[in-house]
Amino acid sequence: MSTRSRLGAVAVVAVCAFVAWRAWPSNDEQVIRRRLDALTADLNMTVAQGSSTLARAADIGSYFADDVVVDLGEGAAPIVGRATLVGMASRLERRTSAFRLRFDDVGIRLGPGATTADVTLTASFVQRNGVDGAESMDAREFTLALVKASGVWRITRVAAVDTLK
Amino acid sequence: MTDLRRIVFGSHPRRTAVRILVLAAISFVTFRWVLIPVRTQGISMQPTYESGVLEFVNRLAYIRRPPGRGDVVAIRLAGPHVVYVKRIIALPGERVQIVHGQVLINGAPLDEPYVRNRRPWDVPEVALTHAEYYVIGDNRGMRASDHDFGRVEATRILGRIMF
Repeated sequence: MSTRSRLGAVAVVAVCAFVAWRAWPSNDEQVIRRRLDALTADLNMTVAQGSSTLARAADIGSYFADDVVVDLGEGAAPIVGRATLVGMASRLERRTSAFRLRFDDVGIRLGPGATTADVTLTASFVQRNGVDGAESMDAREFTLALVKASGVWRITRVAAVDTLK
Repeated sequence: MTDLRRIVFGSHPRRTAVRILVLAAISFVTFRWVLIPVRTQGISMQPTYESGVLEFVNRLAYIRRPPGRGDVVAIRLAGPHVVYVKRIIALPGERVQIVHGQVLINGAPLDEPYVRNRRPWDVPEVALTHAEYYVIGDNRGMRASDHDFGRVEATRILGRIMF
């Protein structure tokens, strides 16, 4: 192999390594992605599949900070506090069992020191019709703020984005 | 066995392998960045597009010209994997209003042959900025409250629906 070929091969490997290094998500990004995947799995789990309604609501609550604010927009009053959210989750059990939630296009931007993160995502709600089994989908864009405390990422703010104003 | 191998790999297996790789690369690039396949969900674009139909978003459609009135476009939410499919009815800088189901652009009625059923929607006049379009679905027979429509930033328009 000539010197020129070797240099070319080294350059190609260097470019590939740089691209991989830039594109590869950091450890915290991977942790946040796994946490969001786990949240959707818990939200999609029905009581029949797992724990009781209250235990399930508490599991869902563990993903949120004590002072979480959930702003769904469209004139609705924000939901403030994990306790309120857990209470609502337990009351919504019957209704949510007909839904399936999925997060798409999850973008994560870590803050300085990797103790805070801003997340953008599209939440897709797939609802199955009880009569003919046909599925309908509704999608909304959200921004999330997360904070890492005691090594655990928790959601402190959820805000709906008005894609069409 | 030799005949079967020749049928599968051709008389020049290396060339066949290269062709397959090139074809795979072209398909990957085309369907990831140029013609994005989307499956429509919902009834807001009926009768033009039925729910469940596969469409393609042409991301190169607006390289030479900006989006135009009447174009059916894909609008990204947080990213390109879930999009709204809507029709552009008003362009940047225009005023748009809906009175008893009739769309008015700068005060003049808009001819919309693609709309079959119309409920008497009323939407107050909105003035678009120079970076906004007004988009809406073709199905005006549904309740306005069940229909996602309104102003959208130009940067959210991913491309034009091909067919």
